[in-house]
Amino acid sequence: MRAMQLGRRPFLAGLPVALGGLAIGLRSDAAGAAAPPPRGVRGAGAGFSPNVFLHVAPDGWVSVVCHRSEMGQGVRSSLPVLLADELGADMARVRVLQADGDAVYGDQNTDGSSSVRGHYDQLRLLAATARTVLVRVGARRLGVKAAECEALDHRVVHPRSGRSVDFGGLALLAEREPLPAPGAVQLRPQAELRHVGEALPLLDAKAYVTGSAVFGADVRLPGMLTAVIARSPVVGGRVLGFDEAAARAVPGVRHVLRLPDPQPPYAFQPWGGVAVVADDTWAALRGSRALMVRWDAGSNQSYDSPAYRETLRQAVRSPGTVLRKLGDADKALESAVQRIDAEYYVPHLPHAPMEPPVAVAQVTGDRCEVWAPTQNPQAARKEAARVLGVSEQNVSVHVTFLGGAFGRKSKADFVAEAVWLARETGAPVRVQWTREDDLRHDYYNTVSQQRLSAGLDASGKLVAWHHRSAFPPIGTVFGGGARPSLGDFQQGVLDVALDVPNVQAEACEAPAHVRIGWLRSVYNIFHAFSTNCFIDEIAVARGADCRDVMLEVLGPPRQITTVAELGVEQLRNYGASLEEYPVDVGRLRHVIERVTELSGWSERRRDGRALGLAAHRSFLSYVAVVVSVVQAESGKLRVDEAWVAIDAGRIVNLDRVRSQMEGSVIFGMSLAFHGSITMRAGATEQSNFRDLRLVRVADAPRAIHVEVQKSEARSGGVGEPGVPPVAPAIANAVFARTGQRVRDLPLSRVFVV
Amino acid sequence: MTEATSSPIQLRVNGVERELRVDPDMPLLWVLRDVLGLTGTKYGCGQALCGACSVHLDGAVVRSCCTPVRRAEGRDVTTIEGLSEDGTHPLQQAWIELGVPQCGFCQAGQIMTAAALLRKQPKPSPEQVEQSLAGNLCRCGTYTRIRAAVQRAAELTKG
Amino acid sequence: MRCSSQTGPWLGALCGPCCLALWLACAAPVATQGTTESPAAPAIALPEVAPGALRAPAVFDAVPDPAQRSSALFTELARVLLHPRCVNCHVEGDSPAQGAHFEQHEPPVLRGPEDRGVVGMECESCHQDRNLELSRVPGAVGWRLPPRAMAWQGKAPSELCAQLKDPVRNGQRGLADIVEHSRRDPLVAWGWQPGFERQPAPGSQAEFAALVAAWVSSGAQCPEAEDAVPVNIGANHD
Repeated sequence: MRAMQLGRRPFLAGLPVALGGLAIGLRSDAAGAAAPPPRGVRGAGAGFSPNVFLHVAPDGWVSVVCHRSEMGQGVRSSLPVLLADELGADMARVRVLQADGDAVYGDQNTDGSSSVRGHYDQLRLLAATARTVLVRVGARRLGVKAAECEALDHRVVHPRSGRSVDFGGLALLAEREPLPAPGAVQLRPQAELRHVGEALPLLDAKAYVTGSAVFGADVRLPGMLTAVIARSPVVGGRVLGFDEAAARAVPGVRHVLRLPDPQPPYAFQPWGGVAVVADDTWAALRGSRALMVRWDAGSNQSYDSPAYRETLRQAVRSPGTVLRKLGDADKALESAVQRIDAEYYVPHLPHAPMEPPVAVAQVTGDRCEVWAPTQNPQAARKEAARVLGVSEQNVSVHVTFLGGAFGRKSKADFVAEAVWLARETGAPVRVQWTREDDLRHDYYNTVSQQRLSAGLDASGKLVAWHHRSAFPPIGTVFGGGARPSLGDFQQGVLDVALDVPNVQAEACEAPAHVRIGWLRSVYNIFHAFSTNCFIDEIAVARGADCRDVMLEVLGPPRQITTVAELGVEQLRNYGASLEEYPVDVGRLRHVIERVTELSGWSERRRDGRALGLAAHRSFLSYVAVVVSVVQAESGKLRVDEAWVAIDAGRIVNLDRVRSQMEGSVIFGMSLAFHGSITMRAGATEQSNFRDLRLVRVADAPRAIHVEVQKSEARSGGVGEPGVPPVAPAIANAVFARTGQRVRDLPLSRVFVV
Repeated sequence: MTEATSSPIQLRVNGVERELRVDPDMPLLWVLRDVLGLTGTKYGCGQALCGACSVHLDGAVVRSCCTPVRRAEGRDVTTIEGLSEDGTHPLQQAWIELGVPQCGFCQAGQIMTAAALLRKQPKPSPEQVEQSLAGNLCRCGTYTRIRAAVQRAAELTKG
Repeated sequence: MRCSSQTGPWLGALCGPCCLALWLACAAPVATQGTTESPAAPAIALPEVAPGALRAPAVFDAVPDPAQRSSALFTELARVLLHPRCVNCHVEGDSPAQGAHFEQHEPPVLRGPEDRGVVGMECESCHQDRNLELSRVPGAVGWRLPPRAMAWQGKAPSELCAQLKDPVRNGQRGLADIVEHSRRDPLVAWGWQPGFERQPAPGSQAEFAALVAAWVSSGAQCPEAEDAVPVNIGANHD
């Protein structure tokens, strides 16, 4: 048996506060003191269950609740392992249960790359609490001192005597034991977490490859009907009238119902339209196709992508609201020896998860049950309750596997539709979005124009950096204004480290004509695109190496811990304080150095490869990417190879971090090469994968090399940070290969891809 | 259920004889999912563009979202659920070993397509793998692992 | 009228009604760029026809010279051969096209060893024996690519004619077989019943077959090799 360290362990001082405001499993009463947390994993039988996350059954099976949605980021193969390691459980005897939407679990909004960073400490505390109790009762059972015992391999062991007892044998005893106060619980030393940080297996792999994993559309209820909804082609449009005769004539169609029109601000309201509800999906699809609906297009019908592009251009060519200021960039630009200006454009982007939105709801009296692939089950619960006019307590939201999400499934609109239809029809209803629905009625990532200006002195060093960004912000969907806010600018404008004496960033107004949402890494996509391409342009203008210029512009390794240093009033910093998560230039420099070393950056001129480099801090992690672009005789461009260096601080599942970086490269390639949603007369032009192309297996690089930095720093995000550097690295590599600078995405406008 | 024809359609699904009273035009995808409850085969696009709905018809891949069930009459349909006993097909083993899936939604279609390839081409070249799987989309971007897993499955396959 | 530039000038040329008159003029020995010194023959203007229609064989009775009449009939029927519904699959390369402007076939597919696709992506993995409306997938019995020898993409009528008559390249068919094939073959028929908002080939299968028959019975003459790019090319399809 491995020797155990029974030495001093770090005390957990104070109560950690989770993101979202509610500490997991701990509630504050009015006086501010922590109320006893609710006990008991829902639905589990007799056994030891000190909180809603952990249950030890008398037969030894440990149930761990995963309260975050599984959409491919591997959260179910990560957080439960953290809990198990802290507890001392053997993963072979652990099963993972998926939590319903319930505030008792704390924050369940699986968004913002926050599952590990937001819950690491609290989950350890809960597991450590359970371990403490097990050790206590185990010691008592063995007739020895608790301090001489340890929880290991699913047992409480007493090394001195070699005796031990299985968790199962202690379950019922432990349940009767009072819980220690948080301050009396010690976490294991980091080194004792045996699996955390390693490459861990994908726990649900077998379910995926045998087809037994239950996704949203796989839920089947007796008497369930399926609905397909015809929705207004233009955002904010309304049904003027419809002819249902042909739809009703389709065998199996049971109801044709008009949904209420949403009222702005749209938020998560169901999107309106006319639903055909039928016995099965085929009948619903046919019925929907046969429906004749007349639409009043509404005020957004003038939305036209090329014209709107002009609006954005005009917006960035005038001063905006200054949100970042150091020195006087306007003046420094005027007096600079050399000035470089560039504008960059990224169109609307769709989520296009492989699983289109879908939800199942059943309403019985004033109670409601929902099954959905939702990233935010609590928001879904709230929205369902609002639609029905009942208390949230009357609503259960069960979370299925998500067939991809990327931010689309945080919005509860598709749940609201199912709930409304379930109530109207009196039957369980599945609302199935078609792929056309998904692409045409998405909450698109916003469209943006960036204007960057740099002033250089005689030696080529930057003396001024000026950044204007125009885009309709997400807030518009909740009734907010058309100008990006301080909060919006935190993603890749305000938090960019610049060793430049004069810096200015301005927010320019752009009204919204579609529902704007958040797509994997959100505003970082276009901010990182523009800043990284701009650095490359500066390097080219100076005849210098992009890597050198990038490091020069970033400046020396340092931790920026005050907003004053950045020249801003406020930095949301992804919900964390700058003290805990500074803008750490050293870490960003390090991943740049690592990725350029891995990719043989310095040898590129000699071996003739066209490499592009980009780096970005987002969601509190640091990622640098190099890609190698090749061009066939036909002119077709390909990414031949890619390298990613990520510093995400303390990670849990190394293999899932790697897979997220691999996936981010492909995701970034898709947006760089093909990503574009365009509107004409207010309606989306794309409808399916024929006109919204995505990277396919033959386009994927021969190899994607990922290096995950070993780090004990606080955990940063993993799901999103890999995306922002990819498109600019590609654009920079394309320049190296072709001599052509592309500032407007997608690359397919100019190249064969 | 959608109104049936006068005569039921007989077919074998994963080795089980089925007699179904369904519209002969109903795509096999919806027969599998809605009628037979075999939900491993997925709807991703409905227009044969993404491959998530791929199944075998007498061993050859068809995209079930646009294959009318009438075409399967008297024939053998194999879905991901019937590819092997309890996940033991070399492809399934390789997929698990290499941690291929992320969200998992496209993987049944990927595996079914790869299975047809391996049956015809037990040691496929990388190019052959790419050509056969070219039509299967993965939004999560698991392509590099898919390629590796097909090769691994070829290694795992006896003979 | 817009020309589909990717398939070369011939496609556009042959589909424009006014261009046929030009062609006949060019086909007459003297009207070309001065290669012969025969006396000038007047240009014959055939009646205009809508882009989606085919001229009937009787229209060509107005052409006095039999060889010219025969080759003019071919030029007319070649408007079908070079229409996207046909030429999208009658390609030389490894992948068919789709749509009105020779767009990349989605999903990406390959010819395969037997012109039926590669394993896992056979033509009939998706294409059924008839068109599907909801999934938009076109279909006909035996959906597959024609062999490379039957590629028509980017070819001038003169080349097409020689190709069609050559048993080595036309699947060992005699002229009578060609007439029959035009009249009856389901894949040929599909060109006029393409489904989902796809523009059919000009005319109808019956009219096309009539033109083929008339061409054969008039001596199956081939148009002269064109040696100039015609002006005023237009296309009737979109």
